[in-house]
Amino acid sequence: MSESEVALGVAGHAAVMEEPAYAVPPKKLTVWLFIISDAVSFGAVLFAYGYLRVGSTNWSAPFEFVPSILNGMIMTFVLLTSSLTMLGAVLAAKAGRKSSAVKWMGLTALLGAIFAALHLREWFHMIGEGWRLFQNPAGGSVEFGAAFFSITGLHLLHVTCGVIAIIVVAIGFSRGRLTEGHVETTGLYWHFVDLVWMFVFPLVYLMNAAR
Amino acid sequence: MTAMESRREPGMKFYVGVWISLLLIAGVEVLLTYQIFSRGRLLAVLLVLAVCEAGIALMYFMHLKYERSTLFWSLIPLVVFVFFLMNHFWADALRLARVRVLPF
Repeated sequence: MSESEVALGVAGHAAVMEEPAYAVPPKKLTVWLFIISDAVSFGAVLFAYGYLRVGSTNWSAPFEFVPSILNGMIMTFVLLTSSLTMLGAVLAAKAGRKSSAVKWMGLTALLGAIFAALHLREWFHMIGEGWRLFQNPAGGSVEFGAAFFSITGLHLLHVTCGVIAIIVVAIGFSRGRLTEGHVETTGLYWHFVDLVWMFVFPLVYLMNAAR
Repeated sequence: MTAMESRREPGMKFYVGVWISLLLIAGVEVLLTYQIFSRGRLLAVLLVLAVCEAGIALMYFMHLKYERSTLFWSLIPLVVFVFFLMNHFWADALRLARVRVLPF
């Protein structure tokens, strides 16, 4: 009996069980609730950054087109593409094409790892220039480093967790221990990581582009 | 189709179209960064484009469009309300942090 059949009570108890309001499996609803609470966390960090930026009279705008903005564009391309490959994995898993789904998930994890590597390259470049959590080599507000490393670090942590989760789920799915429902909920989380980047890139990188 | 199953989802070709549209919006964001010189106006434009991007990702990549509307109406307005509260009260929190105790 499938998960949906259990939840709907079609095994002879339909008369006493009402239809769920959201019509999604409990696992998926749990991930949605996690995503919503995580969105609020990211929102809080981005609002704090916004207020720091507006409240500062000497905020730095250090990102030159090459390498920082270009690097950010490549990172955006890689992360958006990884969302597409994750969709490929979900569609393949739902269609019962197990090996195809595992390949798509492998590609997604690889793109996620590339994104993390590009992110770290950006960090090391900035650290090499003298940027620290509370140090600004450009002479402006020291809060820039704190805001930049906190926001991008929180996002990088999510990407790293996502890559690990995708690899674990891919292995479990290929061995038959996990279902297509697990692939779908992992995909949901991965798309959320992508969604957060859609705000981080313009607000943290483009708003601080040197012009 | 049972009530637990999502509504009919589109295929990979449709999602490639969504992916291209998201890439185009990101490209427009970069282009406008070097066209608009007022920081306030740039922030407003970038925020609008980011919200559009997030909306597309939420509805299509995260399949919210293909779920029951109750899920959308239970989750999204709540988050928007929390962001609204942050926007209105955090400025006051920063002001209070700078308030000095009077010497009497």
